[in-house]
Amino acid sequence: MTPEAHGLYLSPTAKLPYCRGCGHALVVRQLSRALERLGLPPRSVVLTTDIGCVGLADALFPYLHTVHTTHGRSTAFATGMALADAILEAQGLKPIVMIGDGGAMIGLLHLVHAAQLNVDVTVLVHNNFLFGMTGGQHSALSPLNWVTATTPHGNWIPPLDLLSLLRTAHATFLARQLATSQELESTIADAINFPGFSVVEIVELCTAYGTRWNQASGASLEEIVRRQGYALGEVQTEMERPTFRDLYRHGMESLRPKRAKPAIPPLHAPAILTEEVRLVVAGTAGERVQSAAALFCRAALAAGLYSTQKNDNLSTQGSGFSLSEICLSPMPIEYTGIEKPDVVLVVSEDGWAELEDNGTVATCGEETLLLLDAQIEAVPAKGSVMRLPLRREANPKRAALAAIAAWLEKNPLLPAEAWEAVLELEPAERRAESAAALAIGRRLARSGSAP
Amino acid sequence: MLAEGALAAGCRFFAGYPITPASEVYEVMMRELPVLGGLALSAPDEISSLCYCVGASLRGLKAMTATSGPGWALMIETAQYALMTETPVVVALIQRLGPSTGGATQGAQGDVWLAEFSTSGGYTVPVFSPSNAAECFELAVHAFNWSERLRTPILLLSDKEVGMTSEVVDNEALPIPALVNREMATANADYLPYAAQEPEGVPAFAAVGGEIKATVTGSAHDLQGRLRKNSPQVISVLQRLQRKIEAHAEEIELVRPDLDPGARCLLISYGVTARAARQAVVKLRSEGVRISFLHIQSLFPIPRKGLARAVAGVEAVFVAEENLTGQYRAALTPYLSGKRIYGINRIGALISPSEIARAVQGVMA
Repeated sequence: MTPEAHGLYLSPTAKLPYCRGCGHALVVRQLSRALERLGLPPRSVVLTTDIGCVGLADALFPYLHTVHTTHGRSTAFATGMALADAILEAQGLKPIVMIGDGGAMIGLLHLVHAAQLNVDVTVLVHNNFLFGMTGGQHSALSPLNWVTATTPHGNWIPPLDLLSLLRTAHATFLARQLATSQELESTIADAINFPGFSVVEIVELCTAYGTRWNQASGASLEEIVRRQGYALGEVQTEMERPTFRDLYRHGMESLRPKRAKPAIPPLHAPAILTEEVRLVVAGTAGERVQSAAALFCRAALAAGLYSTQKNDNLSTQGSGFSLSEICLSPMPIEYTGIEKPDVVLVVSEDGWAELEDNGTVATCGEETLLLLDAQIEAVPAKGSVMRLPLRREANPKRAALAAIAAWLEKNPLLPAEAWEAVLELEPAERRAESAAALAIGRRLARSGSAP
Repeated sequence: MLAEGALAAGCRFFAGYPITPASEVYEVMMRELPVLGGLALSAPDEISSLCYCVGASLRGLKAMTATSGPGWALMIETAQYALMTETPVVVALIQRLGPSTGGATQGAQGDVWLAEFSTSGGYTVPVFSPSNAAECFELAVHAFNWSERLRTPILLLSDKEVGMTSEVVDNEALPIPALVNREMATANADYLPYAAQEPEGVPAFAAVGGEIKATVTGSAHDLQGRLRKNSPQVISVLQRLQRKIEAHAEEIELVRPDLDPGARCLLISYGVTARAARQAVVKLRSEGVRISFLHIQSLFPIPRKGLARAVAGVEAVFVAEENLTGQYRAALTPYLSGKRIYGINRIGALISPSEIARAVQGVMA
């Protein structure tokens, strides 16, 4: 028995919910025949319908999976299903999208991306040159001079050539057929059978509005298409591209093993810290301010401390200031901001300017220690100031870490083993750099000006 | 940690689009998911991100995306679709300063309304809000669990200050709630995709591509998933969508109370501000103020039980949150009748413990 006899696809007696003469009815029947021709198990097909009169089609196929979606997004939902299917062991889902010309335009991005991904999705674009369900408004695919509810004087915006556009997105199967064509069934079958992304633009007429306002009939459809310079038939199946399934399989073979986070070894020499310390490190973006702060926090962790690190920089990331606010505590930390900093380390003019701007400088008290690079000219109003030639001696990219080391030299709250433990975990090329920065900072602190 | 929590919860599909401050989640998922046999993918926009996730969930995978305010604005249509079609999906909304593009690298708690009041019809969308890295992990698991159990979209409402601040986490001490998976439909000739046992129940799930025919629609539908106008069945489905959330409100509730039986006032906070609030409470108590504290982790449905317990006997309620108009305070107000209600608000920077303490002292002293 054929699937039709089982009633697996469209029942031959089904009452179609379309206006008399509507192209949608032809497409629904040809789709059903194409499915019969392919003999696909009904549960391997998901019919994903868009908003509009095309969205009524899902109810006509009682044995297929059906997903009736939001306007224009049918392709994206179908793509999600196809992507998920590609990673499952039991594969083989065939998503078929039924969408109109209006939906194709509002969801154009989804068509483009599905083409790029080459997912196994077949999109049937029902192009009847207008929005039918909402009263016959023109669409981006309306031909020139086409009269609609919203182009009463004729359309003067050139229509989008959807297939040409999708060709530039590397779509592998593109076809255009008239709804009245004898070949529509085989074209749809070829498209569904194709393992990658396929689009069939089906040109048809809306008999509620299209033929009411325009001199057009089934017989003149072909001429309308030709006038737009479009070819009919399978427009392009030229490229042999891997499908998304192939790409995923290939990608999984070349996966790099999960990078285990380097564990920080427990130390026997804990930090000497009984009260919370809050400090700010500020400098110039790209000069490893935040990474120096991160290394410091890891060293603190190695020494048994809790820490939080809150970064700030311009949204361009690589220009202007860069800063980190750090809290260190022997106890878990709640509030991560800094109401009044205990220590402010500034290694460039950019950093200082930002701390003036964001109000940090104003919150400094007499107890605040400000360790500034010697090139910074500003004279803080409050706090004890220490100036060291960090940029000159350590170089700008090591200045922040050197500043941290210099401060720690004066306030030795971390044991040397903590630094050794985290440097050990650094990539080899970074390790020497960081060790040098720490050494320079310590040396400068010993020889530099006392606060 | 939010991404780690999602992975621990069984998330196997992620689609994302770059946006500060949510890109960290995106990057971790792109790195880790393939290793676990899942799929993480760059979508061409936020609408596609959530559509892909919903599609993947319809196929049967646990799926998540992460974004910030501007991206969530684009996703709302699709989130409503997930709600209407009862498709489990988790959206991590890492807030930044709005409106519009706002401040990409500035923290804020200004998307509470946009997160919750995002559906036509005013349905309750469960929202969890972590205040630190460990809670990101734990609440991500809860979010997936409830999303699966109730077949509904869930929001994880974090913000830049939680999402992009590094802090020490003891991995071994992380609580991992038991995992929950959606109830699957069994082969049964009478399967109705939108029928549940009880008026507040959740239908069994038939995956697209499975043996049982899946019927999915975002249009108003009857128990079979047929497009119908206002038939009694359609109305019953629409009511059930809300009732299934309300019926589980007490179970969804996650609060961390620190109550003083003799308290004259109650401080409520959530997300990153809860951390400053907790510190403020310690300070206030040391100054002799009798104060209770309620840290709310499940913002919606409103945790009425924990709230009622915390508010009993106090005269004044303070709600601290990093937004201009007191969004969550407004949502709580109907449950605080007879109390004097004060907002502690600020935008552009974290609210500090001393600011909160001053505000409370100003009223209670």
